[in-house]
Amino acid sequence: MSELCPATAAELAQALADAASRNQKIRLGGNFSKPGTTAGDVSISTRALNRVLTFEPKDLTISVEAGLPYAELTQLLNRHQMMIPLDPPWSAQATIGGVVAANHSGPRRRLYGSARDLVIGMTFATLDGQVIQSGGMVVKNVAGLDMAKLMIGSYGTLAAMATINFKLIPKPAGSRTFCLTAPTLEAAMQKRDEILRGVLQPVALDLLNPEAAELVGLPAQWSLLLQAAGNAALLDRYSRELSAGQMIGEEVWPRVQEFTPMFLAAHPQGRVARFSTTLTDVSEPYRVWRGPMIARAATGVLYGYSERPLSLPAGLKMVIEYGEALMPWAQTGSDYSAMKRVKQMLDPKGLLNPGRLYARL
Amino acid sequence: MGVVGPNGFLDQPHDLTLYEYDGGVDKHKPDIVVFPRSTEEVAAIVKIANQHNLPFVGRGAGTGLSGGVIPRAGGVMISFAKMNRILEIDLMNERCVVQPGVVNLDVTLAVQGEKYFYAPDPSSQRACTIGGNVAENAGGPHTLAYGVTTNHVMALELVLPDGSIIETGGKEPDLPGYDLVGLFTGSEGTMALVTKITLRLMRAPEMVKTLLAIYDSTEDCGATVAEITARAITPVAVEMLDGPMLRMVEEATHAGYPMDAAAVLLIELEGLKEAVEEQVEQIREVCQSCRAREFRVAKSAEERDLLWKGRKNAFGAVGRMSPFYYVQDGVVPRTQIAGTLKKIGEVADKYGLSISNIFHAGDGNMHPIILFNARIPGQLEAAQHAGEDILEHCISVGGSITGEHGVGMEKMELMSKQFPPETLDMIAKFKNLFDPQCRLNPGKLLPTGRGCMEIRQRPLTEKTAV
Ligand SMILES: Cc1cc2nc3c(=O)[nH]c(=O)nc-3n(C[C@H](O)[C@H](O)[C@H](O)COP(=O)(O)OP(=O)(O)OC[C@H]3O[C@@H](n4cnc5c(N)ncnc54)[C@H](O)[C@@H]3O)c2cc1C
Repeated sequence: MSELCPATAAELAQALADAASRNQKIRLGGNFSKPGTTAGDVSISTRALNRVLTFEPKDLTISVEAGLPYAELTQLLNRHQMMIPLDPPWSAQATIGGVVAANHSGPRRRLYGSARDLVIGMTFATLDGQVIQSGGMVVKNVAGLDMAKLMIGSYGTLAAMATINFKLIPKPAGSRTFCLTAPTLEAAMQKRDEILRGVLQPVALDLLNPEAAELVGLPAQWSLLLQAAGNAALLDRYSRELSAGQMIGEEVWPRVQEFTPMFLAAHPQGRVARFSTTLTDVSEPYRVWRGPMIARAATGVLYGYSERPLSLPAGLKMVIEYGEALMPWAQTGSDYSAMKRVKQMLDPKGLLNPGRLYARL
Repeated sequence: MGVVGPNGFLDQPHDLTLYEYDGGVDKHKPDIVVFPRSTEEVAAIVKIANQHNLPFVGRGAGTGLSGGVIPRAGGVMISFAKMNRILEIDLMNERCVVQPGVVNLDVTLAVQGEKYFYAPDPSSQRACTIGGNVAENAGGPHTLAYGVTTNHVMALELVLPDGSIIETGGKEPDLPGYDLVGLFTGSEGTMALVTKITLRLMRAPEMVKTLLAIYDSTEDCGATVAEITARAITPVAVEMLDGPMLRMVEEATHAGYPMDAAAVLLIELEGLKEAVEEQVEQIREVCQSCRAREFRVAKSAEERDLLWKGRKNAFGAVGRMSPFYYVQDGVVPRTQIAGTLKKIGEVADKYGLSISNIFHAGDGNMHPIILFNARIPGQLEAAQHAGEDILEHCISVGGSITGEHGVGMEKMELMSKQFPPETLDMIAKFKNLFDPQCRLNPGKLLPTGRGCMEIRQRPLTEKTAV
């Protein structure tokens, strides 16, 4: 498979249009760091689209090309005490475009949101060779359709993102992490409920089952990991109010964030399932799952890890996010036909990353 | 109109007159206004309108400021006034399910006893509806910290222009598939009618502090906003009122604003006590370094409410002074606020109009209010030209023509100044995908000639002046 690395948005659009005119299936990506990429007749990478276009620290905004490595972006922002706290897996290899296309997020989304909350503008190239703009460089903007929302999480099945604009979050003065353990799932959920109903505003609140806790280097127990951020007085307040928990090092978070790649490296045949639940139902996937499982316990997204192929538990909203053969997501709703129409409009011949969106789109 | 029964519609000319305008400056009457009570009735109405080749448009409270709700091709207006029930409050899951006609403020009122709130708080929140908010992707003072409507909508039930009903999104986050909730939110009622909305609720903060910083110069006031942003201090709201605005507000509300100041900032901080207290001091420091004349911290909830009442009733206050006004909604990067205020002053001089400013300064969302007298020939046009000049300036400094009020029929032509033709064509393609007959709210959002309306609808009547 030949690989093209266009270096401008216009070149990207041209590459897409050329492939489309030849009816070639396109494997579209950044660094192809995530497993599950589909084969194609031609491979197009955004790798050479790797510049920072505008960075306005005083406006707390940045515009970057989609192929910029996430790690480089994070380092740049770090130097200015700022962040785009998406905390994705494969953070050392991924491009920012790949992170947004996969809608990857991490523990801190409870406070800071996910890509749909942080992206303020975008350009994307379509199969008919056009470069389309959505949003812009200001933090509040309702001119035109919010087409960027469609690109987020579309796994490159609609168009190719060329540039992405973000609003930036100032880095808090400090942070502290607490681990609250519990003997059972129910006890852990009860602790979580107390926190959610209190006034504390944790940046992150993750629940790990004993199997997952062990793999991130904690004792094998039900563990609620809570991160607090802010000034010293605020952090002391958390220490007082969470005295039942134990303060642990911040280094646990990269392990939680990188759990998926770590697990798949150890178990190349393994599966990663992603569940979406309401807050009250965060406990449900745990009841049917055998293997490590991590929940964004204050958000309602869970990741289950299995060493071998598995049969899908019925009645839960889930997808196989990574694994040898992608399985179609189980329940499609009344909006599925509208999704197909959107796909059909932008990619009528089904050339872009066919089946990459959970084997359906 | 068998679907809604004899009390479910209005078609007499004197009644229809009440439905020919919104908060903007354009006007056109519908042929009939219907008041469905359920999603099924909405779908049935849409199907009938289709059979008769009539255009249709959804209506919330009619507080829109860009002519979004104006039935410029006549036809059926579907009012959501009777679909105004809160269907479910699910605090454990931080969700609330509402019908589109529910008034924005009523959501917070329904949950604040349990210490929750619904974050997007347009200044019109006592009147505007959640359906209208979703259509416009409405913002408000507190969206600086909490995000606009789209950040708080989890799921939508929609009636598509062909009359089919779909649900998209859910109470759960990150459901697989394309983010249609994100696409439809802010589509200005041009791609689907919203019949049910699942909202995200937030936990009320432990502490709220409201500050008032008073200035003898608007430049210093604008500079303060840039400096707060640059120093990465994160208030939940930063609102600015200039001198003329202050005086109008004070006369109407007696909120305690100084009558002689050049400008004030109304700043709010929320969160845990330890964080808020520190930020009050940080902001005091910034205000002083930017030459604020005075810095007040509201001492009681009453004092705070009064300050906000002044802000939120501002347009009413303007209405007392000038029967005609025209509000703009451009956005600029926050470093450009001071320069933009200067430009607005120049535009006012150029057209001989008076323009005052009250706006969401923290996110650079300017609301110059252009006062004019429609009875003086040429003044409405002058006001519209002044508005355009200001918005062109916003575009030229990297901003946008609208931060929350929408493009509607008011700013359609300016879209081609902000976006390249390919983008406008793509927007038209999306519209066409869901509304190929161009029956839903035709003639909005896209410049004349780029939408679908010209080809299919009967010609417009001339825009009638206010
Ligand atoms: C004094 C004043 C202050 C304001 N302050 C703010 C502010 O701070 N922030 C802000 O964002 N806006 C503000 N606005 C503008 C306005 O209130 C908002 O745009 C609001 O969201 C409109 O809601 P509405 O119910 O009045 O909608 P309408 O004006 O009735 O309709 C607006 C648009 O929504 C569509 N629509 C309505 N309901 C539906 C539905 N169920 N399905 C599909 N489409 C629908 C209509 O077709 C139309 O295109 C203000 C307006 C006034 C008059």
